[in-house]
Amino acid sequence: MAREAAARQMLFALRREVARIEGTLAERLALPPAVAGGGSLIRHSGIVHDVSPDFIPTGVPRLDERLNGGLPGAALTEIHGAGMRAIGAVTGFVLALASLALQRNASGGPLFWIGTEDGFHEGGIPYAPALLKDYGIAPERFILSRTRKIEDALWVAGETAKLKAVSVLVIEIRGNPARVDLTATRRLQRRAAHTGRPVFLVRQSAEAEPTAAPVRLLLASAPAGLRRTISGPLAGSIGPPAFQVRIDKNRNGLPGQFLLEWNPQTHSFHERPEGHAAENNGIVVSPSRHGPDHAPAAGALMAFGETEDGSPRGEPAGEQYTAHRGARRAG
Amino acid sequence: MSRQENNTRRIAALDERAEALGLKYGMGIADARAMHPSIEIVEHDPDADRRLLEALADWCDRYTPLVAIEGKDGLFLDISGCAHLFGGEKRLLDEALSNFLHQGFDVRAGLASTPGAAWAAARFSLSPIAEGEEKEALLPLPLAALRLPAETRERVESVGLKKAGMLLSAPRAPLARRFGKELLLRIDQFLGAVEEPVSPRLPVSPLSVERRLMEPATLHSEIEHLVGLLASTLRTDLERRGEGARALRLSLFRVDGVVSRIDVGTSRPLRDPALIRRLFREKLAALEGAIDAGYGFDLIRLSASATAPFETAQADLSGENLAGENLDGEEEVAMLADRIRARLGAHAVLRPVCVESHIPERAVLQVPFAERLSRSPSATAPQFGENVSILPQRPIRLFGPPEQVAVTAEVPEGPPLRFRWRNVTHRVARSEGPERIAPEWWLANGQEQTRDYYRVEDDDGHRYWIYREGFYGEAAIHPRWFLQGLFA
Repeated sequence: MAREAAARQMLFALRREVARIEGTLAERLALPPAVAGGGSLIRHSGIVHDVSPDFIPTGVPRLDERLNGGLPGAALTEIHGAGMRAIGAVTGFVLALASLALQRNASGGPLFWIGTEDGFHEGGIPYAPALLKDYGIAPERFILSRTRKIEDALWVAGETAKLKAVSVLVIEIRGNPARVDLTATRRLQRRAAHTGRPVFLVRQSAEAEPTAAPVRLLLASAPAGLRRTISGPLAGSIGPPAFQVRIDKNRNGLPGQFLLEWNPQTHSFHERPEGHAAENNGIVVSPSRHGPDHAPAAGALMAFGETEDGSPRGEPAGEQYTAHRGARRAG
Repeated sequence: MSRQENNTRRIAALDERAEALGLKYGMGIADARAMHPSIEIVEHDPDADRRLLEALADWCDRYTPLVAIEGKDGLFLDISGCAHLFGGEKRLLDEALSNFLHQGFDVRAGLASTPGAAWAAARFSLSPIAEGEEKEALLPLPLAALRLPAETRERVESVGLKKAGMLLSAPRAPLARRFGKELLLRIDQFLGAVEEPVSPRLPVSPLSVERRLMEPATLHSEIEHLVGLLASTLRTDLERRGEGARALRLSLFRVDGVVSRIDVGTSRPLRDPALIRRLFREKLAALEGAIDAGYGFDLIRLSASATAPFETAQADLSGENLAGENLDGEEEVAMLADRIRARLGAHAVLRPVCVESHIPERAVLQVPFAERLSRSPSATAPQFGENVSILPQRPIRLFGPPEQVAVTAEVPEGPPLRFRWRNVTHRVARSEGPERIAPEWWLANGQEQTRDYYRVEDDDGHRYWIYREGFYGEAAIHPRWFLQGLFA
């Protein structure tokens, strides 16, 4: 029996190695409740597989499930922004992922952010105080590389991707330059797999192209949540940032769409539940027709399709609406 | 060669054939043309002369690192300690002269133990003056050998002292009183009684190693290989001093006299030959077209132009740390930063350093990676410590210069209602603020105004950081709105 288990383990290790060389994720595995604590997973056929170093769990169960346990920790991940205006959201989301990766990485290596001069001119430079406050990334762990030409940026990226000492690598590229093609992404993907470290390729206002990255996410910004105070959410305030994430490509998982909120205090993601939509102004999908209508206080609504007084789902009840319609501004 | 002088064109320089025709320095061009209509006249270009002299000085670097330019047409070479490398002073002089001759220069050289005597020896074609013989050498020379200003020389000559030797026998005090201190100083400098420093053109590196090549090297791969060899020689010297190189310079002496210099900097003291070689490989790759090997380089020198104490890491028992390739994480990153810097310049790798300032754009400096170690950030950086949460909320991306936006607000001092940025109108759905940031009056330049910052979110869920500069009704200038950053 023991011998059989050892043989299976070896077989599985080989399979993983093949998967790593091919640049694919290891086979999808379901997590049985019994072994959840041990950090290893058992497949249907009963093969033990240690999953921990290969994934960065986002902390959102539904998203992790779609991604087979989290974002690949040793691969290239492409993150597309919906147009140039989403650059804030994309940056925030990538930094959040980097923060999660850095939390998991005990070696204390730096975050290397590579971009071109015109990209930083267009979108601004990552600002160190916010990195520290909202994402827990100390300025000492942040290295910025700015080059004039895209070729140079790719060279820097390629060289940096070889280093094991760099914990997270972010490459920011605008548009669809010819140099960033399948070959380039393949190179990055292979190096990321070899060094066992995530590489995020941020594409600003780019079309989706063939890519070697196993996962491609599409990002759009979403209205922020409300600030939480002791007496419930503070109406009209701009709280934790929210992101609309769509899984655009997922080699062994399923596509899906999610609305995530980043908690700057605990440095973790959580999914905004459906019922809380009202709390967040109700304009998650499309903007409100009435302009800055402010959300009612928490607890006034139930997270069900129909409220007791029959108002449509996701919108405040009539009396509540009038009660809170007066403009209120924080500060 | 002609030059313009007081409305006339005169001969500024002339070659041997012109001399043979009877032309003289300072003669009017019109006269010269009248005598010999066929002469060829070129405009005098002092800058070009200077550049040529500098190029020659560069070339002379091969004999000694201490080369100084003297006047318009002279070079001083301090060869103390270098002569034995060429088989003695006389052999060095002969070699230099023949090399100059082959390059087509008519050179006169003097060799003496003091700069003054060497100057005179070169100008008056004397044989080398040995140490202690300066006095005898000076005796028959004219006053011009003393490098005196023309005015002083005329005054000395007017009293009948036509030879330098006459001055030596004259009493010193009256000479000084009558002709100024410079006369005595020049005499003393000639004789070596007063030390005369020769200030070299280029700073002298603390350490340098070089290699002369019988067969000139032309290929980059050859140069790289040689850099590796030189670096291993340099390593022993650095080890002896307990130092590592912070800046390295590779000088390539081309056969025909052109000298190329390549500088690389390192973010931490370095002495490993393999790493030095890698740095130069990047630099050479970046300079692909800029270095013209021509007929090849016959002398290659690697010098450590700046050094710093090297903290030796003790090798573990298996000796892994000595292997060079086994760098620890931080060193690996530093090495990468150096290579990027060698290829793309110092500003290609930056590191944010927080400084004490309320003005957002001044609170963070982007310093080149290598500078981080030399300045201590702790002295000026705010101590965040544990309580990160008390920091004010800041955008994740900050624009270099804030971008001006057109804003409509409900009330003059209130938050914006809509704003126009990059030709798109955004409607503000929610806003927070203001956060008022006053100018730093202690740095007073008086031009800055108070800013009121608002965090705003537009209908699409994008979040911006907008500020109003100044107040309504206070100053003649209408307050302006700017967009400075983006939130997640």
